[in-house]
Amino acid sequence: MTPDVKQIQKIIDQHHGDKSALITVLQDLQRKFNYIPPEGVTATAKALDVPLSKVYSVATFYSTFSLVPRGEKIIRICQGTACHIKGADLIQEQIEAGLNIKAGETSSDMKYTLEVVNCVGVCAMAPAVLVNDKMHGNVRCEKALKLVK
Amino acid sequence: MVLIQINGKMVKAHEGEMVLSVLRREGIEVPALCDHQALEPGGSCRLCMVEITKADWDGWTKNVTSCLYPVEEGLIVSTHSEGVLEIRRNILDMLLARCPNSDVIQKLAEEHGVMKTSFDTLPDSDNCIMCYACTRVCEVLGKSAISAVMRGHKKVIASPFGDAPPDCIGCLSCAHICPTNVILWKDENGKRTIWNKSFDLITCKKCGKETISREFADYLLEQRDIPADYFETCDDCKRMELAFKMGGLVDGAEEVAI
Repeated sequence: MTPDVKQIQKIIDQHHGDKSALITVLQDLQRKFNYIPPEGVTATAKALDVPLSKVYSVATFYSTFSLVPRGEKIIRICQGTACHIKGADLIQEQIEAGLNIKAGETSSDMKYTLEVVNCVGVCAMAPAVLVNDKMHGNVRCEKALKLVK
Repeated sequence: MVLIQINGKMVKAHEGEMVLSVLRREGIEVPALCDHQALEPGGSCRLCMVEITKADWDGWTKNVTSCLYPVEEGLIVSTHSEGVLEIRRNILDMLLARCPNSDVIQKLAEEHGVMKTSFDTLPDSDNCIMCYACTRVCEVLGKSAISAVMRGHKKVIASPFGDAPPDCIGCLSCAHICPTNVILWKDENGKRTIWNKSFDLITCKKCGKETISREFADYLLEQRDIPADYFETCDDCKRMELAFKMGGLVDGAEEVAI
């Protein structure tokens, strides 16, 4: 979805210039566009009367925020301790090879984004892979690619 | 007024004052990189660490950053105990690994007997110690043009999107306050460049010397009750002018002024 100035403004205006809503505004923007468009960062700073540098600092601090466009499907491979022990590396290799992108990258057709995260909190079902926030546990190497495609 | 003991000597201190400011007043040297009188204490360089105790602590001691520790009645401070010196050496050891090319850190480390870091040095180090003095002074000035970007080992001090920061006025406060002289700027042909942003410099109407950036002057005029033409002449010319004015009162002042 291409960011539209009006849409951005509409999302930001829902918070009535409340400074303390900075993270919520950024989350809302990300939910709508799948990433935080740079125009959104500038507009947020203006609307909340927070220095641009501060908004940018917050937007880059949290790893859940992305300032670059991401694919339709966001795949998160858990590399927490339990998943790592259970072979998350092999799953990552499979998916990377299958989608032809490395961790942190987005495929050129904007379909897939691959991310590596440190623990999603379901260690009992390790190794875990999240596809657009849907959790898949006990992932097997041979089935890994099917899950995400 | 509270009474505290520093290295065995009784010293008077103001209530609410931080230990470091008492040390400074007493002329006791404690290294500190992130401390500056224009800023609230930050406690990020950790070098001003001192050992504190009290008579009723049964011999227990505590290591605290003196820049952030408020004085209290009966506090006993030692600035150069073996434990404190060991902590300082450790911090300098780490700083030296982070900023292997910084003259300031090298000198300070050497003074404390750390000749070589025991860690792997950071490749392509920019000598920044992440003390936030620059971002804090920018905030004090009311601009907040730069900030910390990213986090963890990727963290850097930068402008939003790495572009010319829209809020920067080219005052150079960040560059001057930086303890390790990381922030670079350039004054050339009437232009000042800092943070990839270019500013027009004001040239003194009398002697033609370059002074401050036009944006900085405008900002100061807007903030303070200053005559509109105040920044049109440089400090030297203003001093000269004042001396000539006073020359009417004192014989021979003109020669002195010139």
